[in-house]
Amino acid sequence: MSSLVRQFLVMMRANLAGLRRRMAISLSMMLSVALVVGVLAGFLSMAAGFEKVLTGTGSPLVAVVLGGGTNQETGSEISSEALRGIMALGGDIGAARDAAGHLIASREIVVTTEAAATSLALRGMDQAGPGLRDGVTLTDGRIFAPGMREIVVGETLARDIPAFALGRTVRLGTLDWTVVGLFSAGGSAFESEIWADLDTVRAAFDRQGEVQSLRLRLVDPAGIATLRQALDRITALPLTALPEPDLYAGQSGRTADLIRMFGWPLALLMAVGAAAGALNTMMSSVADRTVEIATLRAIGFGRVPTFLATWAEAAVLALAGVALGTGLSWLLFNGWQASTLGAGNTRIGFQLAVTPQVMLSAGLLGLVTGLLGGALPALAATRLPLTAALRARG
Amino acid sequence: MTTTPDLTPWITLQGVRKGFRIGTETVPVFSGLDLTIPRGDFVAIMGPSGSGKSTLLNMLAGIDSPDGGTLQIGGARLDSMGESARSAWRAHNMGIVFQFYNLLPMLTAAENVELPLLLKPIAAGDRRARVEKVLELVGLAGRGRQYPALMSGGQQQRVGIARAIVTDPALLLCDEPTGDLDRKSADDVLDMLRFLNRELGKTIVMVTHDPQAATHARRTLHLDKGQFVEERKAA
Ligand SMILES: Nc1ncnc2c1ncn2[C@@H]1O[C@H](COP(=O)(O)OP(=O)(O)OP(=O)(O)O)[C@@H](O)[C@H]1O
Ligand SMILES: [Mg+2]
Repeated sequence: MSSLVRQFLVMMRANLAGLRRRMAISLSMMLSVALVVGVLAGFLSMAAGFEKVLTGTGSPLVAVVLGGGTNQETGSEISSEALRGIMALGGDIGAARDAAGHLIASREIVVTTEAAATSLALRGMDQAGPGLRDGVTLTDGRIFAPGMREIVVGETLARDIPAFALGRTVRLGTLDWTVVGLFSAGGSAFESEIWADLDTVRAAFDRQGEVQSLRLRLVDPAGIATLRQALDRITALPLTALPEPDLYAGQSGRTADLIRMFGWPLALLMAVGAAAGALNTMMSSVADRTVEIATLRAIGFGRVPTFLATWAEAAVLALAGVALGTGLSWLLFNGWQASTLGAGNTRIGFQLAVTPQVMLSAGLLGLVTGLLGGALPALAATRLPLTAALRARG
Repeated sequence: MTTTPDLTPWITLQGVRKGFRIGTETVPVFSGLDLTIPRGDFVAIMGPSGSGKSTLLNMLAGIDSPDGGTLQIGGARLDSMGESARSAWRAHNMGIVFQFYNLLPMLTAAENVELPLLLKPIAAGDRRARVEKVLELVGLAGRGRQYPALMSGGQQQRVGIARAIVTDPALLLCDEPTGDLDRKSADDVLDMLRFLNRELGKTIVMVTHDPQAATHARRTLHLDKGQFVEERKAA
């Protein structure tokens, strides 16, 4: 072990032992770093949770066909002519067929409606629709019946809004609907939707004849390419086919970025304040240790270990703040239910996710805050007038 | 065996000038101070408050540097060394005894004594052995594990002396080493310094207000208004 390391270690030990004398101000630095970490972790975990829901939604074995040159359901339209063309496509088009040779398909439309003062997505679908959702299980009740004003509701939604309990009647648009079933989809974005019969929805919202999207089951994930080629044969309308996960992942990007764009500047602003607090804490630590530092320097201890030991004290306090901040964030935020507006301005429920990535980002910000605030005091420690050591009472 | 100083100058100050800036004014403390101290001497420096005793000692310690003139110790020109060179020189050539002991409260007596050894390439086992030896020398054998706060002032100062001599430096600088002690403890400490000078040949420069303390030295220098005014040889 080199002399430099030994000097650093003994100075560091003296610093840490002296922390008890500086308890209050050291705690305040720790807490302000923890606050910065907590705020950033809050926003980042929100973005991460939102992304997790949307990227976890959909199956690669399901294709969504959209019309009109968009890759979102909102704004997409498939004309009846194009629809007839798709259903009439023969041969291997990458999509699965039933025993009779018909495509397994669900025509769908999403309307935005309101209940309990919340914008909600009501999805009308063919009877094959629920079967075209992988990972979805009916947990209670039954599927909606054709022609009936019945709805099946995701569990997230049913838990968040009591009006959607099984058996209840809910007014959507101008008409009353009965909740006949609940489904779970592993917390994915499906769970924020309301499902009903296609024709009933179209009639209730005056959207007769409209189809926004067509869901098809693929024979395998690679079937999407074959499907795209087959769709090119239909000239009535430009058609796009997306694997279902891509559809939802595409929605997540913008909202998650927005959350981050709001969270980072706020956290950085607070970090500036916390760094100023750290500077204050460390300055008072140096002042408190003046005699100690000057004595060691008078004995012959160098400037480099003096700098490093003070800086390391700042790092230790910042890291304690980071541990507190990430720990509390994890306890408080992780799994916390939240909701935001997703595509088509409808509500999407999700859970905040304090992922390792979130903790790393927030933790690094906390550490950098402490290191920035501690640098100047560490420099000041190396410049203390040594004459103080001979004069002052230890 | 009792050593006697050989009279060749070992510490030499020539025309040393030193002042302190207060605002825009420079208040001079020394304007041309000359001093020679031979190796093995034990010099007490006395004088009224503000006469520059501590300033002189700080310059000898390399903690402060002269504004002008030359300051040489054992062939090393302290006045022309940079800060880090002086720091290294200090670590190898001198020990400092402080008025208020300046022990680190969170370290045991032994750990305090060990501090200067940390600057040298000495193995941990050897360091401990040397600490044991000097603690014994200052009459604190077996007290190594005690914390300074639990010791009397006299004991703490003996720990301070042990720390100053643990690297076996040729020069000891003491700024009012007995200033904070009762008569009995002060006499113990002074006897200890006399022993270090007479038996181990340490050169000692000691600043003191205590005429009694000065009698332990080989000679006493009186500083007044930045000049030495009279020299009195000890009996
Ligand atoms: N760092 C400093 N800044 C400004 N003036 C100083 C400084 N150190 C010492 N002085 C001044 O230099 C003069 C000599 O001070 P010094 O401490 O050497 O005196 P001293 O003889 O040790 O006094 P005392 O017996 O009180 O310890 C005094 O006038 C003092 O005010
Ligand atoms: Mg003084």
